[in-house]
Amino acid sequence: MNPKEEKVKIITEEFSENNEVAEVGRQKKTSKVARQKRKKRLPTAGPEEMVSENPHLGGQQEPEQEDSDTRPLSMMSRRGPRSLPPIPSASRTGFAEFSMRERMREKLQAARSKAESTLLQEIPTTRPRRLQSPSKKELETEFGTEPGEKVQRTKQEDDSQSYSRVKFRDSAQKIKSKPPVPPGFPSAEEAYNFFTFNYDPEPEESEEKSQTRNRDETNQEEEEGEEEEPTVHGEHKTVMQDEEELLSAKDAEDFLLGLDHAAEDFVAVRPADYESVHVRLQREKELLFVPSRLTVPTYKKLPENVQPRFLEDEGLYIGARPEVPRTCQNIVENRLLTQDPGRKWFGDDGRILALPNPTKGFPSRPPMLTQEQDIKAELETLYKKAIKYVHRSQHMIGSGDTPGNFQLDIDILGLIFTHHPCFSREHVLAAKLAQLYDQYLARHQRNKAKFLTDKLQALRIAVQTGLNPAKTHKSLDTTQKTINEYKSEIRQTRKLRDAEQEKDRTLLKTIIKVWKEMKSLREFQRFTNTPLKLVLRKEKVDQKADEEAYEAEIQAEISELLEEHMEEHEQKMEAYRAAYQQWKAWKKAQRAKKKKKKQAVEEHPDEEMEEPYPGEEPVKPVPPEPTDRALIEQQVRERAARSRRRPGEPTLVPELSLAGSVTPNEQCPRVEVLRREDVKKRSVYLKVIFNDKEVSRTDSRPLGADFRVHFGQIFNLQIFNWPESLTLQVYETVGHSGTTLLAEVFLPIPETTVVTGRAPIEEVEFSSNQHVTLDHEGVGSGVPFSFEADGSNQLILMTSGKVSNSVAWAIGENGIPLIPPLSQQNIGFRSALKRADAISSIGTSGLTDLKKLAKWAAESKLDPNDPNNAPLMQLISVATSGESYVPDFFRLEQLQQEFNFVSDEELNRSKRFRLLCLRSQEVPEFRNYKQIPAYDREIMEKVFQDYEKRLQDRNVIETKDHIDTHRAIVAKYLQQVRESVINRFLIAKHHFLLSDLIVEEEVPNISILGLSLFKLAEQKRPLRPRRKGRKKVTAQNLSDGDIKVLVNIIRAYDIPVRKPTTSKFQQPSRSSRTFSEKRAASPTTHSPTHSSDYPLGQVLVRPFVEVSFQRTICHTTTAEGPNPSWNEELELPFRAPNGDYSTTSLQSVKDDVFINIFDEVLYDVLEDDRERGSGIHTRIERHWLGSVKIPFSTIYFQAKIDGTFKIDIPPVLLGYSKERSMIMERGFDSVRSLSEGSYITLFITIEPQLVPGELVREKFDSQEDEKLLQATEKFQTECALKFPHRQCLTTVTDISGKTVFVTRYLKPLNPPQELLDACPNNPQATAELVARYVSLIPFLPDTVSFAGICDLWSTSDQFLDLLAGDEEEHAVLLCNYFLFLGKKAWLMMGNAIPEGPTAYVLTREQSHYLIWNPCSGHFYGQFDTFCPLKSVGCLIGPDNIWFNTQRYDSPLRINFDVTKPKLWKSFFSRSLPYPGLSSIQPEELIYQRTDKAAAAELQDRIEKILKEKIMDWRPRHLTRWNRYCTSALRHFLPVLERSRGEDVEDDHRAELLKQLGDYRFSGFPLHMPYSELKPLIEAVYSTGVHNIDVPNVEFALAVYIHPYPKNVLSVWIYVASLIRNR
Amino acid sequence: MAEVHVIGQIMGATGFSESSLFCKWGVHTGAAWKLLSGVREGQTQVDTPQVGDMAYWSHPIDLHFATKGLQGWPRLHLQVWSQDSFGRCQLAGYGFCHVPSSPGTHRLDCPTWRPLGSWREQLARAFVGGGPQLLHGDAIYSGADRYRLHTAAGGLVHLELGLLLRHFDRYGVEC
Repeated sequence: MNPKEEKVKIITEEFSENNEVAEVGRQKKTSKVARQKRKKRLPTAGPEEMVSENPHLGGQQEPEQEDSDTRPLSMMSRRGPRSLPPIPSASRTGFAEFSMRERMREKLQAARSKAESTLLQEIPTTRPRRLQSPSKKELETEFGTEPGEKVQRTKQEDDSQSYSRVKFRDSAQKIKSKPPVPPGFPSAEEAYNFFTFNYDPEPEESEEKSQTRNRDETNQEEEEGEEEEPTVHGEHKTVMQDEEELLSAKDAEDFLLGLDHAAEDFVAVRPADYESVHVRLQREKELLFVPSRLTVPTYKKLPENVQPRFLEDEGLYIGARPEVPRTCQNIVENRLLTQDPGRKWFGDDGRILALPNPTKGFPSRPPMLTQEQDIKAELETLYKKAIKYVHRSQHMIGSGDTPGNFQLDIDILGLIFTHHPCFSREHVLAAKLAQLYDQYLARHQRNKAKFLTDKLQALRIAVQTGLNPAKTHKSLDTTQKTINEYKSEIRQTRKLRDAEQEKDRTLLKTIIKVWKEMKSLREFQRFTNTPLKLVLRKEKVDQKADEEAYEAEIQAEISELLEEHMEEHEQKMEAYRAAYQQWKAWKKAQRAKKKKKKQAVEEHPDEEMEEPYPGEEPVKPVPPEPTDRALIEQQVRERAARSRRRPGEPTLVPELSLAGSVTPNEQCPRVEVLRREDVKKRSVYLKVIFNDKEVSRTDSRPLGADFRVHFGQIFNLQIFNWPESLTLQVYETVGHSGTTLLAEVFLPIPETTVVTGRAPIEEVEFSSNQHVTLDHEGVGSGVPFSFEADGSNQLILMTSGKVSNSVAWAIGENGIPLIPPLSQQNIGFRSALKRADAISSIGTSGLTDLKKLAKWAAESKLDPNDPNNAPLMQLISVATSGESYVPDFFRLEQLQQEFNFVSDEELNRSKRFRLLCLRSQEVPEFRNYKQIPAYDREIMEKVFQDYEKRLQDRNVIETKDHIDTHRAIVAKYLQQVRESVINRFLIAKHHFLLSDLIVEEEVPNISILGLSLFKLAEQKRPLRPRRKGRKKVTAQNLSDGDIKVLVNIIRAYDIPVRKPTTSKFQQPSRSSRTFSEKRAASPTTHSPTHSSDYPLGQVLVRPFVEVSFQRTICHTTTAEGPNPSWNEELELPFRAPNGDYSTTSLQSVKDDVFINIFDEVLYDVLEDDRERGSGIHTRIERHWLGSVKIPFSTIYFQAKIDGTFKIDIPPVLLGYSKERSMIMERGFDSVRSLSEGSYITLFITIEPQLVPGELVREKFDSQEDEKLLQATEKFQTECALKFPHRQCLTTVTDISGKTVFVTRYLKPLNPPQELLDACPNNPQATAELVARYVSLIPFLPDTVSFAGICDLWSTSDQFLDLLAGDEEEHAVLLCNYFLFLGKKAWLMMGNAIPEGPTAYVLTREQSHYLIWNPCSGHFYGQFDTFCPLKSVGCLIGPDNIWFNTQRYDSPLRINFDVTKPKLWKSFFSRSLPYPGLSSIQPEELIYQRTDKAAAAELQDRIEKILKEKIMDWRPRHLTRWNRYCTSALRHFLPVLERSRGEDVEDDHRAELLKQLGDYRFSGFPLHMPYSELKPLIEAVYSTGVHNIDVPNVEFALAVYIHPYPKNVLSVWIYVASLIRNR
Repeated sequence: MAEVHVIGQIMGATGFSESSLFCKWGVHTGAAWKLLSGVREGQTQVDTPQVGDMAYWSHPIDLHFATKGLQGWPRLHLQVWSQDSFGRCQLAGYGFCHVPSSPGTHRLDCPTWRPLGSWREQLARAFVGGGPQLLHGDAIYSGADRYRLHTAAGGLVHLELGLLLRHFDRYGVEC
C-alpha cells in the first residue's frame, strides 16, 4: 500500500507546482486565510522536518524534488490518460505516518515509475483510517518543536529560490490536505469557513463525508479548489517570509491568533495542556511523599536521652547485615520515621533492624568446571611424590597421611642486658632510669587515670540524669536500683583513680630522683658512660581554671563521700533503732519475767528452772556517730594533695633521650678504661634449644657499649612432633677464653593461631645467678656494691636482660600453617579450616561425646551468641549443666533407627556376638576360645562371669588376697601398668618381619657342599652317637597332653643326714660330731670304722626326689646316703591355660616346677617285741629336706636346663644335720668344702621343643641423643658379630616405654640408714646386710608380668615402690647401694642357672672380686665352682659399658680388669667420650619405717590362714596344734632373723630338745620375702608337712615377720610336726 | 541380629599400565554394623606378573559382621598402588564396590580411577612418578560431589567374594 500512496503524493506535488507556476500572480485571498493555512500546516510539517533532520535522507530528497520541478510536465503528459487529480489530503496525512526510510524506498520506486493504474484503484480503500491520528495530534503535539525548524527552513529559502518554492508548495499542499471539497460549489468564503471551522464533535464524520464525496467528485471541481488556494499562498509569500524570520513559534501563533478576530467565534485554539514542572512538583508534593536521601541523625531514631548502644562493641555477636546502599537505607529510615512515628523499626544502635544477610556465601549453582577453582575439602587432591614405602604406617587406608615437616620460625631480634657484670655504676642507674621511663611511657600510653576520671565523670552525669525523675520512664525502684549501682561504681572508680594517680605521681618522682642521682654520679666521677639524658618539659597550665577544676573535683568528692556516709549513717541508725527496740523489748520482758518468776516461785516452786533467755543478754546498743563534714573534707584534701598535681603546678613531662655524649676513653680514669676494654672483649651468642637438643645458634656478636646486642636472625625449625620445650641459652665469650652459659630463656610455644607474619615481638626476660667480681669499674654480678661513699645501702644485682624474639608457626605454600597435631594419634592437618569445623576437628565420633564437644567449643572460642552455633551451644549447655532433658543422642543418621531390625540393647545382649567380639579382641579369658555355639541359647551365662568380675574388680582394691594394703595397691598398680603396656604392644606384636613370614633356605655354597661331601667319606662309628637337633614345634597344632616336661634327676651332693634320735642327751662338740658324721657319711668310699655309732646300721639318710608341677607329682626311687645318685627321668604333663598353646600364652605361664628332696624314714610300729620275729610293721615317713624351684618360664625360654643347683635347705632342719667334710684329703672334696649347702644335678627340658617367643623388636622412642643411639646400635652389632651368644646391653626400656641408655640407671643411692647403723665397723657385714635387704624384695619376672613383650627396667625408687621386680631391678639397686658404700661395683650381665640371662653384681674387694646374686643375697668368690653365674657378657658401670671380648666367658676363667682394652671392649672410648649422662635415678631414696603394728597384725593373720590351710589339707585326719611348741618356735624365729639363719642350729636344737624331750620332732623354718599370701601357702604345701598321717601327730606353726624399711618384709614360717615318743 | 560372613579374596588386577602392583583395601560399613571378627583393612603383597598382565594377589578376606539394619551395607574400597623399580610407590587407582547382598559366591570386577590433576601434575607424574592423591580417602566410597574431580581410568580389580547371610529372614529380608 505504502508505495502506492507515495506515488499519489508525488503526483499531487507535481500537480500543485504546475498550478503555482501558472497562477502566481493572482491574489484573491486575504492574508488571513493564508495564515490560517499556515497555522494548519504547522503540525503536519513534522514528517518533513524529520526528513530534513536527517541530512542524509534530506540530501536525497531534495534532488528528487528538484527533479520533480523539471520533469512535471513530461510526467503529466505521460499520465495524460489518467487526468484524475490525486486526493491530496489523504495522501498527505498518510504520508505523515511513514518512517523516513520507507519513504525513501518508495520514492525510489516512484522514480522508477511503476504501474499507475493499479495504484489509483487502490487509493480510496486505504485512506479513511489514515486521517484520524494526525488530526488529533495536531492539537497536542509537535507544537513546541515547530519554531526552530521553521527558522531553519527560512534560511534555506533564502539560500535558494527553488527551495523556497518547494516550501511554499509544501504549505499549499498542507492546506490541500485538510479541506475536502464540499458537496456543492462552495464559494471561497465557504470553502474557507469550511476549512477553518473546527468540527470537533464529529471530525471523523466530516472526514468520512469528504472522503465519500471525494469519490463522486468531478475533475473540474477539484481543479477549481486547487486553483484557488495557490493564489492565497501566492499573495502572502513575502509576508510569510518576513514573519517567519522574525517570530518564534509561539509569538507567531499569538500573532496569528490576534489577527484572526473573526475566527474566534468558532474556533478556540488552545495550547496543549502543559503544566510546568514546578507546578507539577508542587501538586505532587501534596499527594506524594518523597523521603529524603539525607542521613537521619541518630537521635531521631532513638528514644529521647538514650545513647546509642553498640552491641558489637559490648562483645555481643551481631550477624552480618545485608549490604544495602547507604542512600537506600537513608530513604527507608526517613520513610519509617514519617510514616510510623514509633521507633520499633530501629535497634538500640540507631540502625534499622535487619536480619542477618540471608544470602549464601557461595553460589548454589556449581561453578563451571575448572581445576583451579575451590574444590571441596574432601575431594582435594594432593600431588604426592613417589616415595619409598615406610613399613610403619601400613594398613592405613583412608586415614590421613603423615604430613611432612612442620616448621617453627624463631626470630631472634636482639638482646638487651638490664644488668651485666660490666655495668658501671652509671649504667646501673641508666638501666634503672630506662626501665622507669619505659614504665612511664607504658602508663602514659594507657593513661588509666584519665580514663578513670572520664569514667567517673560519666557516672556522675548518669547519676544526675537518673535522679531527675522527669526524664526517667522506668519505674522508680529500678531507677533507684541503677542509681545505687552507679554510686557503688563511682566509689570503686574513684578509689581506682586515686590509686592510679598516686602511682603516676610516685613514678614521676622516682624518675626524677634517679636522674638526679645519675647527674650527681656523673659529676662525681667526672665522666659519663651513657648517652642518656632526661629532659623535664614543663607544660604550663591555666592556673585559675586548674584551681577551679581542682576545687570542683574536691567538692564533688566531698559531697559524694558525705552522701555515702550519710547513707551509711542512716543504715547504722536503722540498725541501731532496731537493736534498741529489741533491747527495750527484752528489758521489758525481763522485767515482766522477773515479776512473774517471783510469783511463779511462790506458786510453783518447781517450775523455776526454766530460763527465759539462755543465751547472753543483749547489750544496750550505742547510737552511731554522725559524720563530720570537715573531717571528710580534710581527708579528701589530704588524699588529693598526695596523689594529685597541685593546682597551678606545671605538668611535668619527662623525656629521655640519648642525646648526651659519652666521655672518650682518654679522659676517663684507668679503671673505667679497663672496664670499657673488657666490654669490648665480650661477645654474646644464643643457642636455640628445642626439646632439650641444641638445634641452632646465632652468630657471636660483640657486646656494645650500651649492652645491647643485635642478632636479627630467623631460625626455621623443621620439626616432626609437637614441641615440648623451647629454650634459648645465652652464652658469653670473653676474649679468647671459653664461653660461659649466662642464662636460659624459656620461650613459650606459640598458640596454633600464631603464624609467621602475625606474631608479635615479645621480650622475654632472663637472669642468671652467677657471681662475677671484676677488678675494674664494672660492678659485677651477685656481689654487693653501693652508690654511697660509706658503702651503706648496698645493692646486689644479678645479671639479667631481655631477649626480644618472636616465635611463630610457619605457613606452608598453600597457606596452611605448618603446625603439628597436638597428639600424635591425630595425624593430619589442623588447618584453620578444620578448627572452625567441629566434625573435622574432633572427628565424627567426637560429636557423640558431649564433653569432648564442649571442650572443643571452649578451645576454638566459639562465639556463643552466633546464631550459627546456637544449636551446638544449646546442646553443650544442656549437657554440661546436666539439668533438664539431656538428649542421649546426637546422631548423624537420624533415620537409621527406623530401619533397624533390632535395638542396640538387643544386639549387645547377644551372648554369641559378645563372645565372638571378645575372642577377636584377644581378651585373656576368651583368647583361643574354641567353638562358639551357633545359638545364643547354647551359651551359658557363666562364661562371662570371670570376665565381668575382673572388670568390676579393676577399680576395687581387693584386700582379701593381699593382706597388706600397700601391697594390694601395688598389685593393682602393677596390673594397670601391665594392661596399658599390653595394650600398647598389642599392635606392635602384629608386625612381622620378612623372616617371620618367609623361610628362605640358604643356598649351599661350595664350602658347605665340600664339607658334606667330605662327611660322606667319613668312617662310620655306630657306637659314637651323634647329637641331633630336635625339631621345634610351633604352637598352633598342639593340644593338651602333647607337651611334657622332662626332669632328669641325676644326683645330689651333701644331703643333710639324720641325727640319731636316741642321742637326746648327747651334746657333742661341733668338731667331733662333724668328724664322726663325715666318717659315716661316705660309707662306700671309706671304711665304716665309726659305724658303731649307729646301732642299727641304718644309713644316714634315704633321700628321694619328688617333682611337682601343676599339682602333678612324680617321685624317684629312694636312694641311700647323703650323696645319692638317682639318674631317673620323670615325665610331667604340661597343660597350658585355656588350652591356648600360643607363644604369648606360654610365656605367661606362672607355674613353677618344685623339686623337693625328702628323706624316707622307716619307723618300726611294732608294739610288741615278741612279734619281731614273725612280722615287720613299719611306717614310712618322709621328711622334707629342701627344694629347688624353677619357674616354667625359665624352662620355656631356655629350652633346657642343665646343671647343678643349690638346694634350698632351711637354716634349721631339726633332726638333721649337715655333714661337714672339713678334713678331706681329696682335691675334689676340698673344693667342694668351700661351699655350704647341698646340691642337686638336674636336666630339665620340654618335649617336644617349643619355639620360644621372641621379644618385641619394636624400637621405642627415646630422648637420648641421636648420636648416642646410633653408637649403641653400632656397638651392639659389632659385639654380636664377634660373640653372638654373649649378652650385650646398652639401652633398655623404662617403665614408660622409652628407650634409655643403661648407665643412667647406675648411681650411688643410699641404703636404709638402719642397715648402715647395724654394724658400722664391718663393711663386709654391711654389704651382706644390704644384699639381704635387696634380696628380700620379692622377685617378679618381667616376662611374666609383661608377657612376651619386653624387659622393662624400673628405676630404684619405682622398684622400691612396686616392691617387685626381676633380676635387673634387684641388681641395679644392689649395685647402687654398693656404689654408695664406696665399693667398686658393676652390673654384670650374663647367663646363670637357672635364671638364664640375668644380671648379677660384681664388686671388687681389696684383692679379689665377688659376685653377688641380687635375688638371693648370696655372694660368691670369682673362683667358686658353685657360683650359679656361668657366663659373663658385659659389665656396666655408672659411666661406661664393657663388653667381654675374652675367649672364655665363664667367670672362673676371665679377668675382670676392665682397664685392659684387649679383654674388655668399652663403649665410651677416646673416640666417643663419655658425654656425662645424667642419671634417671632419684637424688636419694627416702625410706619410711614400716609400721611394726601392721607387721604384727599381718603376722597373726598369716599364721591363722596357714593353720587353716593345713587343716584343710588334712581332711581325713584330726589336726592337733601343740601350743607349747608353737610358742617355743615363735620365740625362736626372731633369733633366726637376727642371725640371718646362720649358726644357731645347735643352740636351737638343744633348747628345743630340752623343751620337747619326749617328742619326735621334725620341722624347719621357711624364710622368704613377702609379696603375697599365695607363695607362702605354696611353700608350706610343698614341704608336705601335712602329709604325716600318724594318728597321734601334733603340729606346730609359727610365723614371724620382720619389717624392714620401705615395707620390705621378711617372713619366717616355722612348721613342725611332733610325734610323742612312747 | 542378622549376621553376614564375607569370605573371599582379592584375586588380582588387570589393565593397569604399571606392572608391580599391590592393593590396600578396607571395608566400610554403616553405623548399624558391627564387626565381630576379622580384619577390616589390609594390604596385599606386591605382585609383579611374569606371565600375562594380571597381577595376582589372592589376598584373603574373612569378615564376620552382625547388623541391626540394612543401611550401610559393607563396601569394599580399594587402592591399587604400583611400585617402581626404585621401590617407590605411587597411586594407580581408587576403586570401590559394594559387597554383594545375595548369598553365594560372586565374582566382582571393580573398576578403578585415579585423579588426573593439573597438566603440570600429569607431566610430573609421567616423568618423576608420584601423582595426585585424594586427601580424604573416604571420597572413594562416599557419594560426595565427585563431579569436580578429573580422573583417569585405571584397571580392574578382580574379587571373589562368598557370602553367608544368617537370620535375615527373621526380619523380613528375603535372600
